Amino acid sequence: MHLIWEELRLALPLIWHGDPYLFSVIWFTLQVAAVATLIATAIGLPIGLALGLGRFPGRALLRGLANASLALPPVLVGAVLYLLMTVEAPLGPLRLIWTRQAVFIGQTILALPFIVALSAAAIQGLPEGLLSQARLLGAGRLQLCTLALREARIGVIAAVIAALGTSLSEVAAVTILGGNIYGYDQTLASATLFEVNGAHYPDAVAIAIVLTVMILVLMCGLGVLQQQGGGIRMRFRSAT
Amino acid sequence: MTYVWDQLRAAIPLITHHNAYVMHLLWVSVRVALISTSAALVIGLPIGLTIGLGRFRGRRALQILANASLALPPVVVGVGLLLLLLPQGALGSLRIEFTLRAVYVAQAILALPYIVALTPAAIQALPPGLLAQARALGAGRVQLSVLALREAKVGVIAAVIAALGATISEIGAVVIVGGSFQGSDETLASALMDQFNYTGHDPLATAIALLLLALILVLAGVLTVIQQRTGGIQLRFRTA
Repeated sequence: MHLIWEELRLALPLIWHGDPYLFSVIWFTLQVAAVATLIATAIGLPIGLALGLGRFPGRALLRGLANASLALPPVLVGAVLYLLMTVEAPLGPLRLIWTRQAVFIGQTILALPFIVALSAAAIQGLPEGLLSQARLLGAGRLQLCTLALREARIGVIAAVIAALGTSLSEVAAVTILGGNIYGYDQTLASATLFEVNGAHYPDAVAIAIVLTVMILVLMCGLGVLQQQGGGIRMRFRSAT
Repeated sequence: MTYVWDQLRAAIPLITHHNAYVMHLLWVSVRVALISTSAALVIGLPIGLTIGLGRFRGRRALQILANASLALPPVVVGVGLLLLLLPQGALGSLRIEFTLRAVYVAQAILALPYIVALTPAAIQALPPGLLAQARALGAGRVQLSVLALREAKVGVIAAVIAALGATISEIGAVVIVGGSFQGSDETLASALMDQFNYTGHDPLATAIALLLLALILVLAGVLTVIQQRTGGIQLRFRTA
């Protein structure tokens, strides 16, 4: 255990004394998580509502697709976006590759499946009669959406937490799209990778500790929600 | 879009002609997925059964802990494990740092939460009377476990598929403990990321991406078939 203690002893002061690099990485990570989750929620929630409430043909297929999209490897999403954004590619003229914007876009796309699939699942999990009763009583589309969102709010919040979790701990797409440029577009997770590659273990450990604390805070939030709401079954898996 | 088509056109022959490097990556990925998931199953299933069936104090706390461990960022697991495996570390005498064996260990650790957390979830979703009845009829611990596993098999299979999916598409830990040595301990996913680090990219990256996608689609397909047959198990997997 000698080595771990040694690295911890070197790593903790970096956190206590507010290493400026570390804090710039924390700040960018929070920005990425917030922006990606916000945009993904804005786009994904209407889709999730449509999948959860709609009664159109092909709904089951779309739901299956939404669930399957949760399984997409982030490295693959990153590779495809790179292929679209690189200089010769269709989106090349926008000059997005290896910029912060590219990281925001990548993480938004990775967060989207969580919002769409998990909010749809939360709405489907509502008691059978609830929505049909509202429909019978003449609720319009907007009223129905409001009701569904209010009743399924714990599931929806869990979806948002899951999205936040991935954008915090994902590394593959961030690295491919952002280029993992020191002090510019690194997140905590990609910076960990960067420091390990450079064999700067104390820095890597310091960053990993901060990342773990953030994830723990999120998980505690989720745990409290589950206690209050009695057994929502949503979990999230942090991505590479 | 001609650029994207050109990439695809150049990539497909690499797969159809069994390019040695690409096939080796596929083989490593499959091996890592199978070995790590098997190890996780052997260790995790008894723990999952204990949490799912046991009636001891602190069971809820263990379940929450297991759920939370699903959110552990792979890069954090990678750094922690690497510090143990480096020559100066506690397990340094094993001399497996930067080898495929280290990758097996890392991926087994990452697969474990899926088995440990999702198995009890599947058992708890069984009809409430079933296990109580078996207990009342005098089933022993082993009989009870066998019964629970047989009844909850769809959930357990979904957990295994989730673990396979994670081990295939995760890179954070693979790159850190394996060192990503070309042709030795690279998986499809980690090789895909490396393609972008070194060379911008070429058809090789696209070929690797296609194989990775195919592998994940096969897994997702198997999961869907199992779900269809048994009607709506809600376990999903997120690749990391």
